[in-house]
Amino acid sequence: MQIAQNPLVNKLRKKPRIGDNLIQAVLLICGIISVLTTIGIVFELGKESLLFFKMPGVTLKGFLTGTSWQPAIGEFGILPLLTSTLITTFFAMLIALPLGLGAAIFLSEYASPKARKTLKPALEVLAGIPTVVYGYFALTVMTPFLRALFGSDTVQIYNMLSAGLVMGIMILPLVSSMSEDALHAVPRSLREAAFGLGATRFETAVKVVVPAALSGIIAAFIIGISRAVGETMIVAIAAGSGSAFTFNPLNAAETMTGYIARISGGDVAYDTPEYNSIFAIGMFLFLTTLALNLVSRRIAARFREVYE
Amino acid sequence: MSAKRMLVFVVIIGSIVLSACSGGAASAPTAAPVATEAVAEQPTEAAEELVPVDEGGLPEVDPGALTGEIYTAGSSTVGPLTEAVIEQFINEGFTGQIKNDIIGSGAGFERFCVSGETDVANASRAIKSSEVESCAQLTPARTPIEFRVGTDAIAVVVSKDNTFATDITLAELAMLFTTAENWSDVRAEWPNEPIQRFTPGTDSGTFDFFVEVVIQKPQKLEKIEDAKALALSASNLQTSEDDNVLVQGVEGSPYAIGYFGFAYYQEQAANLHALSIDGVAPSGETAESGDYVLARPLFIYSDAEIMKAKPQVAAFINYYLTYVNDLIGEVGYFPASAEALDQAKQAWLDAMQ
Repeated sequence: MQIAQNPLVNKLRKKPRIGDNLIQAVLLICGIISVLTTIGIVFELGKESLLFFKMPGVTLKGFLTGTSWQPAIGEFGILPLLTSTLITTFFAMLIALPLGLGAAIFLSEYASPKARKTLKPALEVLAGIPTVVYGYFALTVMTPFLRALFGSDTVQIYNMLSAGLVMGIMILPLVSSMSEDALHAVPRSLREAAFGLGATRFETAVKVVVPAALSGIIAAFIIGISRAVGETMIVAIAAGSGSAFTFNPLNAAETMTGYIARISGGDVAYDTPEYNSIFAIGMFLFLTTLALNLVSRRIAARFREVYE
Repeated sequence: MSAKRMLVFVVIIGSIVLSACSGGAASAPTAAPVATEAVAEQPTEAAEELVPVDEGGLPEVDPGALTGEIYTAGSSTVGPLTEAVIEQFINEGFTGQIKNDIIGSGAGFERFCVSGETDVANASRAIKSSEVESCAQLTPARTPIEFRVGTDAIAVVVSKDNTFATDITLAELAMLFTTAENWSDVRAEWPNEPIQRFTPGTDSGTFDFFVEVVIQKPQKLEKIEDAKALALSASNLQTSEDDNVLVQGVEGSPYAIGYFGFAYYQEQAANLHALSIDGVAPSGETAESGDYVLARPLFIYSDAEIMKAKPQVAAFINYYLTYVNDLIGEVGYFPASAEALDQAKQAWLDAMQ
């Protein structure tokens, strides 16, 4: 018997559904566009950075180890900008990580549903405030507060501490929200088992739930760090507008992102030292956040717990 | 549900919806440099009719009859003055679009002569020959015409809390902005605190002028680049094209020092104190007579072809030259001499032939 000619079997063959295929193609294109954009960005950054490193007097070693950044007179050491970025990030994480995790633990383990309903949106409003507003908050509220605390002579009007602390406040909702998702994903059975053995709420939260959610929490921390490294407006307004190689957070020092914002805010001619330096720093920032993302994925995968 | 519970429910849902809409932005890193905007000095006599001080033979301008686009960019010093003229021009009925960007004299010439984007360049220094060459190489070529619009005295300022510095010599001024680390390095009786410097950046005409007059000429350096290198390698240096950033910086500490156009000093005179140089304080008279060493001319530049092709640009420059002396006092600078202004008006008439 010829099965293929049996009309009943023909009806059961898979029909081409044009509408479905079309939608699938459109969604695939959406995904491909983001990949292409990333490739385009990397290509542009790489091309212009190459121009930078081809300039006379610029070497990779000098770029990575030089302690003075003044492109107008030919000094291209990235260390001042890098230390400023790291110091502001450090202070941001000092605020965002403990407070974010604490808020997440409270929301997940202790809060009643009513408290949760009010507190969670309040945190997210904090995330919605524009960063330029945060920048002026740092300059007009945080800096005078720090000056009242430490004395106007020790705290300069543009300083890294003020910008770092306000950045921490901005990143806090991000860390809290991601940590809370991780904590929520831990099954109730773990908690109930701990209660059943006589553990207090605190012991359960800290010794059972947090270690179980560690992978998500670490991922949240690293996202917070890369957000802080890439933040521009707050540091451009409050941290300083001149590069300075200093470890004192009460001094003014420009960060990598602040420098890019300042130079591109003016007018830079193509293929001048300043113009090319923007792309070199942009490439450096891109590679830093890429590395952080890869580390985050590695760690998250390593600590991940799979539940039945 | 009772009305109260309904209200609470709506408020909570509303705040969740609002935060959900804005919460989506939290994960996208922000990196949007904000273009600096001009600080507008508001002339208080906005509603009054301004009578031109000197008709000077320029044809009457009726802003209400004009329309179109005018794009000016350049010096942060000339910026507020141009803003005041623009404000008046629009108040008298101009219906078109006028854009004024504050990016520094160098950057203003860049946009006028290299990318050809602007119609008028504001500058606190004269155009360089290299910039004139770039203009000539544009298609269509541009020949910059210089219009002198005023005089500025660069104020070297310290905070009101600085009681020890009042009068300095030119040599001390150079040391304060190049080699000295602490105030006591310049004069032994001054405090042993680090000098916090706030200066315009390399795109700024103010920077170019200061470096030339204070560092290059007295020290007889061959090239301006050497003088710039000295200025830029100073310790504790914060630079910005936005003079408001500098004002804020200087106000912040008794050990801070900075320099910028007189208008920015005058606006904040309550919190700042301008130093006298070699016994001469900055003012209208000392600037005009040349006694104050940091007096310099303010210019706008345009091109004859642009003025003919865009009548609104020609009319704007005409209006500028006619009314600038009325507005310049409010803004905080000093009028150019009558001869200089007449020369500018003659240049306008020649361009429109």
